[in-house]
Amino acid sequence: MKNSQIAIIIAIAVLIGFTLVNLGNSATYSSFADASLQQGETTTVIGYLNLEEPMSFDPKTVTLTFAAKDKKGNASTVVYNQPKPQDFERSEEITMTGYATDSAFVATDILMKCPSKYNEQNEVDSDKIYK
Amino acid sequence: MNYIGEHLWAAELGRGLTAFSFVFALLSTFAYYSKGEGWKTVGRLAFRIHAITLFGLIGTLFFIMANHYFEFDYVWKHTSLDLPPRYLFSAFWEGQEGSFLLWMFWNAILGWILTYTAKNFEGPVVGVFAAVQAFLVSMILGVWIGDYQLGYSPFNLVRELPENLGLPWTQFEDYLTRFPNFMDGSGLNPLLQNYWMTIHPPTLFLGFASTLIPFSYAIAGLLRKDYTSWISSALKWSVFSVGILGVGILMGGAWAYEALSFGGFWAWDPVENTSLVPWLTMAAGTHLLLIQRNKGGVMPSVLFLLIITFLLVLYSTFLTRSGILGDSSVHAFVDLGLSGQLLIYLLFFTLGSLGLFLARYRSLPKKEQEDRMDSREFWMFIGALVLLISGLQITLSTSYPVFNKLFGPEGLIHLYDENKVLNDPITHYNAIQVPFAIIITLLIGAGQFLSYRQTSTKLFFQRQITTLVVTTILTALSAWALEMWNPMYITLMWTSYYAVIANLEFWIRWGKGRWNFAGASVAHVGFGLLIAGALVSNANKDVISQNRTFIHEDFPANENLLLSLGDTVEMGKYWATWSGQNEEGYYINYELQFFEEIDGKLEAAFNLSPRIQLNERMGNVAEPSTRHTLTKDIYTHVTYADLRTEEERGTDEWKNEFELELNIGDTHFLYGKYQLELDTLVVDAPQADSELQYAVLGAGLTITTLEDSVYKVMPVYAVQGNQAQHVDAEIKELGLKFSFDRINYDTNKPVIIASEHTEAEVPFILVKAEVFPWINLLWLGSILMAVGTGIAIAQRVKRERK
Repeated sequence: MKNSQIAIIIAIAVLIGFTLVNLGNSATYSSFADASLQQGETTTVIGYLNLEEPMSFDPKTVTLTFAAKDKKGNASTVVYNQPKPQDFERSEEITMTGYATDSAFVATDILMKCPSKYNEQNEVDSDKIYK
Repeated sequence: MNYIGEHLWAAELGRGLTAFSFVFALLSTFAYYSKGEGWKTVGRLAFRIHAITLFGLIGTLFFIMANHYFEFDYVWKHTSLDLPPRYLFSAFWEGQEGSFLLWMFWNAILGWILTYTAKNFEGPVVGVFAAVQAFLVSMILGVWIGDYQLGYSPFNLVRELPENLGLPWTQFEDYLTRFPNFMDGSGLNPLLQNYWMTIHPPTLFLGFASTLIPFSYAIAGLLRKDYTSWISSALKWSVFSVGILGVGILMGGAWAYEALSFGGFWAWDPVENTSLVPWLTMAAGTHLLLIQRNKGGVMPSVLFLLIITFLLVLYSTFLTRSGILGDSSVHAFVDLGLSGQLLIYLLFFTLGSLGLFLARYRSLPKKEQEDRMDSREFWMFIGALVLLISGLQITLSTSYPVFNKLFGPEGLIHLYDENKVLNDPITHYNAIQVPFAIIITLLIGAGQFLSYRQTSTKLFFQRQITTLVVTTILTALSAWALEMWNPMYITLMWTSYYAVIANLEFWIRWGKGRWNFAGASVAHVGFGLLIAGALVSNANKDVISQNRTFIHEDFPANENLLLSLGDTVEMGKYWATWSGQNEEGYYINYELQFFEEIDGKLEAAFNLSPRIQLNERMGNVAEPSTRHTLTKDIYTHVTYADLRTEEERGTDEWKNEFELELNIGDTHFLYGKYQLELDTLVVDAPQADSELQYAVLGAGLTITTLEDSVYKVMPVYAVQGNQAQHVDAEIKELGLKFSFDRINYDTNKPVIIASEHTEAEVPFILVKAEVFPWINLLWLGSILMAVGTGIAIAQRVKRERK
């Protein structure tokens, strides 16, 4: 067999290997219920901010505590040790990566989806018209 | 109805030019692929008419944007009256439609150049351009075929949008002057109002457009079964493509680093990844073209890489514009409903080009004899293969949302029940891509000491003895100075230094420092420096704003420091003070003064002013401020600030008023902190002639804190006739006030009002500060890469002329 063919075969093997490693490493979007069954394991939960429960941000310890509900309706307190993201209250959906503990879900990373983001609207405000 | 004040002529003109541009692109494709010189002339003429109508339509769009004709949806969305004219270009390509036009603009220019330079390859090469242009113009055609809209025109009027049809306001013929909404547009997103937005997209799109040239040559070669005469032309353009695409990508990185708070120059975001991948495969293709020209025998691989590069550009277009990345990227485009059309575009070229490649595969010229393991071409081939795998790995990991769409819960072929996601993309990509970078930099260095065909082992090591020694010494010194002991990182540092020094030595010793050898060497030195700079600045990144006081073992270390106005706090080897803030347009600038301790005294070192952009459309955004020095950058941004106005914050001295009704002996737990008891009620109410003259009442209150400190106070309430007076009691230490408000005559109980003192809050901000050491190596490397490819192109053109 030719050297270059051997190299190509090795390359394909490496690529398949990576694909398998990827699939093994990748998580699925989880729920708070699943996360609390595997405390300490990193998972990603997509959910919504529950504004009926109190939210607090303590700048001295840089701790944001809020209540969230995942897509299946499980509720959890979430602790996030980063500055409160701008317009956090306006978020439509939050993607939280972190792990569950006894008392709360500790988020290490938060991605927000805001209704305003890239959503250019030019609706004519009908209130302004008829008055 | 005749609407007043609309510029319908511009809409007609724009749409007309779009239609002509589309038709002539189709005609050109058809003509170029028909046999005969006559058809070729028609093809060329059609392509040029296509290009001219395209420029006309671009000009029309510019004109309506510059004149703020807000009845046009695109104008309304992307400009406003207060938009500085210098941002008109940025506004033009902010939206999908405009960025398609930018891409078509470059394609038209490059295609036009090729009608002169491609000579006897003009037919199939420019024919591919015309076909691509036809697809691209169809994206902005905006023609309804039944219920399906083909393309999305930038010349749509607001009142013609499907969601506005039939709305009451469209019934007014003077709607443009009647409704305030049409007086001004929503404007260019402030986040994009900077010079990077002016220079980065055109460069990147020129890079994307340029990948089409080598692709077209490959297709032309396959069609004609000619695998030799186009190699030099394709090589020249692929070097151009590597250079421009590289500069475009790095400009994006520089933008992220300078103006956005991504915390670095590369975040492995899907949009970044999909522009990097075509660069990797184009670099691989360029090197294989070199082997093909110098020695031959790699034609199948050359064709495959040139084809796949353009296909990956199309795939990138599909990912970023179809809305599929919505969940995983911070800067993909809005979905315009073009995903079906984009998919057809992608599939047409993928099936067409790969089909042609496979059909011709058996007849492609193959190697006559096997490459030796000690030949330069063998290792260049391996390098190209590694670049390809690296690119495919990035593509696979970036394609999760696509896999979820195909195989996920709602997928076409149901394979798994829950959508897959990468938990920590940055760690994931770094872990896999660092070993690739090690192999690539090693090959870039070692390749210089290998000869084509064969190299003796002795010679191979003799040639590079200096390089090996210098590289090892430099690596040891750097590792020691930076205290970097991770074996993977040290290896990458060694190999990237090796790439730099090997190429320097090769150019000086073997190339005698001659100009016509410089291109490749300078570009390789640049690449080595870039990798070294990326490694050191990231691996040795030091967050100097660590807030060590509040770290709990369960929580990630906090990387933000609280700065009260006027306070000076320690930050790494510096001391920092937040001295004030000022507003400037959309921005609030926070002034930070940095001091260094010299002989026990704080000496002013430098000032930075990170800022927050008040952005109603995207949410407020922090913009960093960076102190650049030769050996390191100090990068700061404000991660939290109270943006409320004074009014919103409130100015009352007392807050949390709380009304209590108590009997003697009653207790109440107050504010979650104090135990309150009414222990006595003192009453002085003298009577004269059985008339109440006046009454003075005092409520004896005992307050016990959680620490068991006891305070006794007595607020007083006095009445005489209709007049009431209060003497409030205050506990200064606790910031509490009690007022004896009245007696509730229904229950006969005294009513006490408690309130808490509003603390005189000192304003504060949270700041994150990081030191990026030696990041200048990265920028120097980027510039050298660009210069190197520039020299290489200049040399090729010069050689051709001779």
